[in-house]
Amino acid sequence: MKRLFKPEKRLLTIVLCCIPIFLSGCWDRTEVNDLAIIAGVGLDRTDNGKIELSVQITNPKAIGGPGMSSGSGQSGQQPVIVKTGTGKTIYDARSKLQEKTSRQLFEGHNRVIIIGKSLAETGIRKHIDFFARFPIPRLRANVFFTDGKATDILKVIPSFENGESAEAARELAELKIGMNVTTKDLLQQLASSSGDTALPKITASKSKLGEGLKVNGTAIFKNNKLTGQIDDKVTRGLLWLTDAIETASVTIQPKDAEGYISFKILRSSTELIPTIKNGKWKMIVRITTEDDVTENETKLDMMDPKIVEKLEKQMEKSIDKRIQLVLDEVQTGMEADVFGFGEAFERTYPQKWKQQEDQWDKKFPEIEVVIKSDVKIRRPGRSGGPQGVPQEKEKKK
Amino acid sequence: MVDKGKISAMQLAFLLYLAITSTAVLIAPAITGGIAEQDMWLAPIWGSIAGFLTVFIAYRLNTIYPKQTIIQYSEKIIGRIPGKLIGLLFLFYYLHLNALSLREYGDFVVGNFLPETPMFVVLGTMVFVCAAAVRGGIEVMARTATIFIPLIFFLFLFIAIMLIPDLEPKHMLPIMENGIGPSLTGGFLASSWFMQFFLLSFFLPTLGKKQKGLKWGMLSVIATMLTFFLANLISLFIFGDITSTFNFPVMSAVRYISMADFLQHVEAIVMAIWVTGTFVKIAVFHYVLVIGTAQWFKLSDYRQLVFPLGFLLIIMAIWSAPNLQKVAHVLGTTWPFYDVLVHVLIPTLLLVAVWLRGKANGKNARKK
Repeated sequence: MKRLFKPEKRLLTIVLCCIPIFLSGCWDRTEVNDLAIIAGVGLDRTDNGKIELSVQITNPKAIGGPGMSSGSGQSGQQPVIVKTGTGKTIYDARSKLQEKTSRQLFEGHNRVIIIGKSLAETGIRKHIDFFARFPIPRLRANVFFTDGKATDILKVIPSFENGESAEAARELAELKIGMNVTTKDLLQQLASSSGDTALPKITASKSKLGEGLKVNGTAIFKNNKLTGQIDDKVTRGLLWLTDAIETASVTIQPKDAEGYISFKILRSSTELIPTIKNGKWKMIVRITTEDDVTENETKLDMMDPKIVEKLEKQMEKSIDKRIQLVLDEVQTGMEADVFGFGEAFERTYPQKWKQQEDQWDKKFPEIEVVIKSDVKIRRPGRSGGPQGVPQEKEKKK
Repeated sequence: MVDKGKISAMQLAFLLYLAITSTAVLIAPAITGGIAEQDMWLAPIWGSIAGFLTVFIAYRLNTIYPKQTIIQYSEKIIGRIPGKLIGLLFLFYYLHLNALSLREYGDFVVGNFLPETPMFVVLGTMVFVCAAAVRGGIEVMARTATIFIPLIFFLFLFIAIMLIPDLEPKHMLPIMENGIGPSLTGGFLASSWFMQFFLLSFFLPTLGKKQKGLKWGMLSVIATMLTFFLANLISLFIFGDITSTFNFPVMSAVRYISMADFLQHVEAIVMAIWVTGTFVKIAVFHYVLVIGTAQWFKLSDYRQLVFPLGFLLIIMAIWSAPNLQKVAHVLGTTWPFYDVLVHVLIPTLLLVAVWLRGKANGKNARKK
């Protein structure tokens, strides 16, 4: 240390201390007010086979600075700006888009990727590469499918989330009412031997009260091309089967009473157990779920263990039915392995899988699926017996 | 000794741990994952065997020549000219290895964070800081490593904890689908990091208490193995089959972190780990190169060599490979053989030579 305090060294020290100021990344300096922050990306295909890239850019003026009432923004300002560019690849389209944008496009905060129908039909694998290669986007972005044009979804201004449809879409995916697929998940599924995957379907809903988004149904991709769509009800079955069910309610009508009973699912787990016996491939699906009663229209007493047992049996049947629905439509109908059956077999029977891998496409629709669900009704909710019914009229059976 | 500084065995372990894990954590999952696939978590365990072996060899050689490095005792063991040649090979190897590590660092920073900054600037700033540390001597470097260790440890732990919700252990199955082969090959690639523990040969002479050198050296290998293992396991549990398609899997994994919608975009942590770790790595290897060169030429001081060799290092980093693809290719194919030659084969032969000579002429060997 002493050497530092000699006069000739002192000058050197000062010079050395000044150098870092000039080294702080001059080349890659970007100011926030030079960035166009992209919240959502939409991909469509034009009629002549080019990529149409739409981006939803957050409008900084409309978000409002400090001192403004939160989220409302200035009157007359669009909360988001949607811009579109066309090109041979996504990056090509992006550079065309950049020509029209005075600020530098920035995907670092991109939350959703919406794939339009036209692009989905011709295959999505080659287009997803950009999101895993270009250094700025994140693999956390949620991927959606839309039946129409992706641009239209980005243009929707929902009532929540400061009018940003990208954020609204992400929140919808996080609720896990439909499927929740991130870019990473999509990459993994496309890289599996079948290349079959499923994406949540997002649609815009317009009414007098305002615009909104909803996730209803799922798009099924076989070998990265769109082959079909399933509706909301069948999607629930798919969620059960892929262990993705989280916020769900089940409503059943008891056989021996009038009215419905609703349950809230607390937790549920699905196990895929593949078995091969005498060359016969079989998949056992074991579902265990715990529920609470949330509504009871009937006159049944929810505290009666016998009634609860009956209800459990009935719920098991209703879950089985849901799953059978999706198996009928997707396994035998579209022949797309979006359930991860192939992977389950590969993990348990690696040797036999290798022999059959090439014929998996043929084999998959023929696999016998056995559903074993186990429902446990844990609590009756805040009330025991039915409400608003005189004690003596309660059904005790 | 050219450098009169003394460090403790624990500081030595810290130095080596940082120098070796910093690049391993970022790149090794992709390299080992490409071959071992879902068995990649086994690779560091196999690889660490090489680590234990090299630590042992370095320690044995040091007990025979306690005050010397391999550059000096190779001359004593097999004669002046062959010894000098071996010394030259070692010096070239360390220059080459360090240049490649520097290049990996440069490619990572330029590729992920500063795409428009010229590579020369990124490399130059790093080498300048490292060279300053080397000029400060071994004690300065050891203290820097002691300061960095808790920082890096906690940041790494933080990342691991943040990623827990996204981990899917099923990606591990089926274990050893194609037998033990792929994981062993992966382990061989991983071992090239572990063999770098032969650096011990250059640092053991600076230890105050030599007996602890072996113990802390082994502990350092174990810590490296665990870190390496954890990095591979995290990458595997998150990405599964597609791990090896990413160039920096741990980086991609950290960018995936999203805790309760607000704790996200934390990749600056990876950057912090990477830059501090690389700093120690480059400094350690540069120190070895500089000290080795001084000993090779029998100079009395090493300080004049620090900056000229640093400049050579930058040039070498830019020359050694035209692009990242070549760097990864070399590291995944020929490099482990190069490592085995320098870090295992030659030291073992030297040890055998000493042993044979000791048998033939017991008294002479002991005098030295």
